[in-house]
Amino acid sequence: MKQTFRVALAGNPNCGKTTIFNLLTGARQHVGNYPGVTVERKSGIVHVGVLEVEVIDLPGIYSLSSSSPEEKVAFKELMDTPVDLILNIVDASNPQRNLYLTTQLAELGIPMMLVFNMADDAYRRGLKFNLPVLEHYFGIPIVRTVGAKGIGTEHLKHVMGNLLSAPERKLPNSLRYGTHLDQAIQELTARIESLNPPFSSRIPARYFAIKLLEGDDGVCRMKPFTPLMEETVTLREKLAIRLGAEIETLLPDSRYGMISGACREAVRITNERRRQISDDIDRFITNRYLGLPIFLGVMFLIFFLTFFCSQPLVNFLEWFFGALADVINRFWPTGQLDFVRSLLTEGIIGGVGGVLVFLPNIVFLFLGIAFLEGTGYMARAAYVMDGFMHRFGLHGKSFIPMLLGFGCTVPAVMATRSIESEKDRLTTIMILPLMSCGARLPIYSLLIPIFFAEKFQALVMWTIYLIGVLLALAGARLLKSTLFKGGDEVYVMELPPYRMPTFRSLLLHMWERTLLYLRKAGTLILAASIVLYLLNTLPVKTQFSKDYEGKIAALEKKMPSQEAKKEIRSLEAERNFEKLEYSMAGRIGRGLSYVLHPLGFDWRVSSALIGAFAAKELFVSQLGILFSVADSGDGDASSLQAQMKGQYTPLQAFCIMLFCLISIPCIGTVAVVRRETGSNFLTFLQFAGLTLTAYLVTLIVYQAGRLFF
Amino acid sequence: MQNEPISSSLEDYLEAIAEIIENKGHAHTKDIADRMNVKMPSVTNAIQMLAAKGLIRYQSHTPVTLTVRGTERAAVIRLRHAALKNFFRTLLKLEEDESNQTACKVEHIVGEKVMSRFVTLTEAIMNRTDCEGLRDYLNTTMPTISADSQEDVVALDTLEVGQSGIVAHVSSNLRGIKKFADLGLVSGTLLTLEGHAPFGDLLRVRVMGSSLSMRSRDAAQIWVHPARGIPEDHSREIIL
Repeated sequence: MKQTFRVALAGNPNCGKTTIFNLLTGARQHVGNYPGVTVERKSGIVHVGVLEVEVIDLPGIYSLSSSSPEEKVAFKELMDTPVDLILNIVDASNPQRNLYLTTQLAELGIPMMLVFNMADDAYRRGLKFNLPVLEHYFGIPIVRTVGAKGIGTEHLKHVMGNLLSAPERKLPNSLRYGTHLDQAIQELTARIESLNPPFSSRIPARYFAIKLLEGDDGVCRMKPFTPLMEETVTLREKLAIRLGAEIETLLPDSRYGMISGACREAVRITNERRRQISDDIDRFITNRYLGLPIFLGVMFLIFFLTFFCSQPLVNFLEWFFGALADVINRFWPTGQLDFVRSLLTEGIIGGVGGVLVFLPNIVFLFLGIAFLEGTGYMARAAYVMDGFMHRFGLHGKSFIPMLLGFGCTVPAVMATRSIESEKDRLTTIMILPLMSCGARLPIYSLLIPIFFAEKFQALVMWTIYLIGVLLALAGARLLKSTLFKGGDEVYVMELPPYRMPTFRSLLLHMWERTLLYLRKAGTLILAASIVLYLLNTLPVKTQFSKDYEGKIAALEKKMPSQEAKKEIRSLEAERNFEKLEYSMAGRIGRGLSYVLHPLGFDWRVSSALIGAFAAKELFVSQLGILFSVADSGDGDASSLQAQMKGQYTPLQAFCIMLFCLISIPCIGTVAVVRRETGSNFLTFLQFAGLTLTAYLVTLIVYQAGRLFF
Repeated sequence: MQNEPISSSLEDYLEAIAEIIENKGHAHTKDIADRMNVKMPSVTNAIQMLAAKGLIRYQSHTPVTLTVRGTERAAVIRLRHAALKNFFRTLLKLEEDESNQTACKVEHIVGEKVMSRFVTLTEAIMNRTDCEGLRDYLNTTMPTISADSQEDVVALDTLEVGQSGIVAHVSSNLRGIKKFADLGLVSGTLLTLEGHAPFGDLLRVRVMGSSLSMRSRDAAQIWVHPARGIPEDHSREIIL
């Protein structure tokens, strides 16, 4: 007989839970998101003998309350779905804090087993466990593992199989809180059981009684308990006075007391080697003076990895997509469905390919971040940077996404996932597009050399970047004092000991993130590329001012001299210009130019901005078409520069750059922001807010600048 | 009411003047300065203020005398001092000097109502027959409580880097007190301040074998008994 069991993995953050999960399930994993929050939900299948077991990796939590999205999600999973067994992973080198969660899991009325992971670490720290004593205390079996080396998993599976196939469910012991508290718990349990209408749940009433006494927000707000609240409050006050403790910490106090009691009997320290290497490294890395330079160095390395090492792969992908389009063009039966062909090659391969070429960057970046997170440096980086970032209402961890934003906004937005505080995370996402990304660089490098004397060029570039950063910081302040006000959540963060992540877990982590990027952002970018392509080509112009076809054909008949080739190219360019002018994009551009005229933009710049929405660098190629520049295939910027010279003033050029910097994030950004915020409103707000800011800032700069230049 | 409030230092002056007059019959500025252990100009300044409030009579080069209102006011202050001193001396069993000094500090901030209830409590415990057991208990326990067991509690953020301490109590003003408690910051936990982050605001604390970082202003709400010296051995955190 085959039956699917459900097993939930629970444990503190950094206890090696994910390593155990990966060991159990291998590659058979399903990664998703809990609805409404950015907490990942992972599950996978493992076969234990004849049993099929679905393993759910709950988010890492310190306690089963409702003070963070992770805790809420974990509790909901345990309450709403039937779970046959809880695998509680415990970092054996830090039993006290880890067993705190165990005391709460034991009250859920679900069979449980304890996994003392990192047993080698504990041994090195000189901790010796008398496991039978602990097994007896909690009433559940305990196994020892070393996740990083894969030791103990077979035994773990064996014990798990035995528990699942046992004829009766053996529940953990119910723990004693001391006379006064136990009495109060009993009273409340009785009251819950006699509620009318009756309250029923998979989880025993005693658990809810304890959570009510604890003053847990989530449980206190549950509808059925409203009639009990008054009684609960009096009970809590009475207990606090009797036990001489703060009301809020009644239960934590006695739980830690319980654990100390259990540990006193079951844990011994044999070895005096207390100092860990981790502490020595830390004394250096988070040093008051050295911390910052070290952090900047590490970030530079990650950048180097992301944007330098992946360059050959990016080039390869560019070549690949080019070749792919060529092949399709060559083998497409001529004259048949030409429109579909160009949609495929120019629209889809051009658009989606244009974004996909950055995939190596993203993969390397995620690898770097996974490494920083896995070793435990990420928490230190946040610790080092927080003092600075806090002044602008941002979190220490916001710094990394902001730096990444100079490369590409899309992975930067995804990197905000490591920020726990929801409001800080959203604030960071909202301001990220202001960090001038790499795709805007072609715009600057096109315009700056044309309109600014050589000695000012670097200064102008620097000014543009600086304006972006300043606006971002100002924006963060503004958001924190309005929309995300009061999000100054309690800041308390664990700095986990340094550990070398396993190669396997790094790759898995990287792969998960890459897949998410491909799947979600990919679909939207595909749709947007098609729409933009249609905007650029429809309606198709049939009547041209000159007979381009005839002229080109005539030229081609002649000897293929350099002269003729050049003429053909310029004719083709002129034709493209007419096509684009006639198209929707051209018309929208003309329409937009009425609005954008006060900023100093003409219709050509306006329609190029539509291209910039697809990807910022498309601004340049769109401008190229509009200025009828022959696409010579190499260094087309120089001929475009020659064309543009004299068309605009330096002030106008500066305003174009300013507008491109601030306005409309590209479609990839919009897609990923929608995904990561889970809110249409915020996505729209960012879009509209940035565009409006861009308009106002550019308007002021242009109009004020005209007084002087 | 005629008892317009005067500052606590002026109350001290008034009290001193009354006592000197009681002992010597009259109070010279020099006597007051000696008794209060301050410089002459401060005394002159204070008695001019007291005179302006109509509590004393004062002309240069003549001794200070109290007005009727001044006499009344001084009597109230001295009564309070005596009652408080009595409480510290007979119930809390503090030494004579310490009782005096503590009474001096407390007397200014305690209102009339609280004061009379204090007196009632002291008298009840000292005189009622059904409080005999309590009196015995106080007589034996109070003297054994040494000064440093209670008073030597400092805020976590004022510990030296590398210094350890045991959490005495966590103030209920601490935001997110529950979250800190979940992480093990409850009374009786041993912790060590490991250092400060650049730009000051954050500090890191070793608790139960791992480091926590938190804001200084949150740490200021956690009170600890500092350990003497820097123990290399963290074994207590497990055994505790």
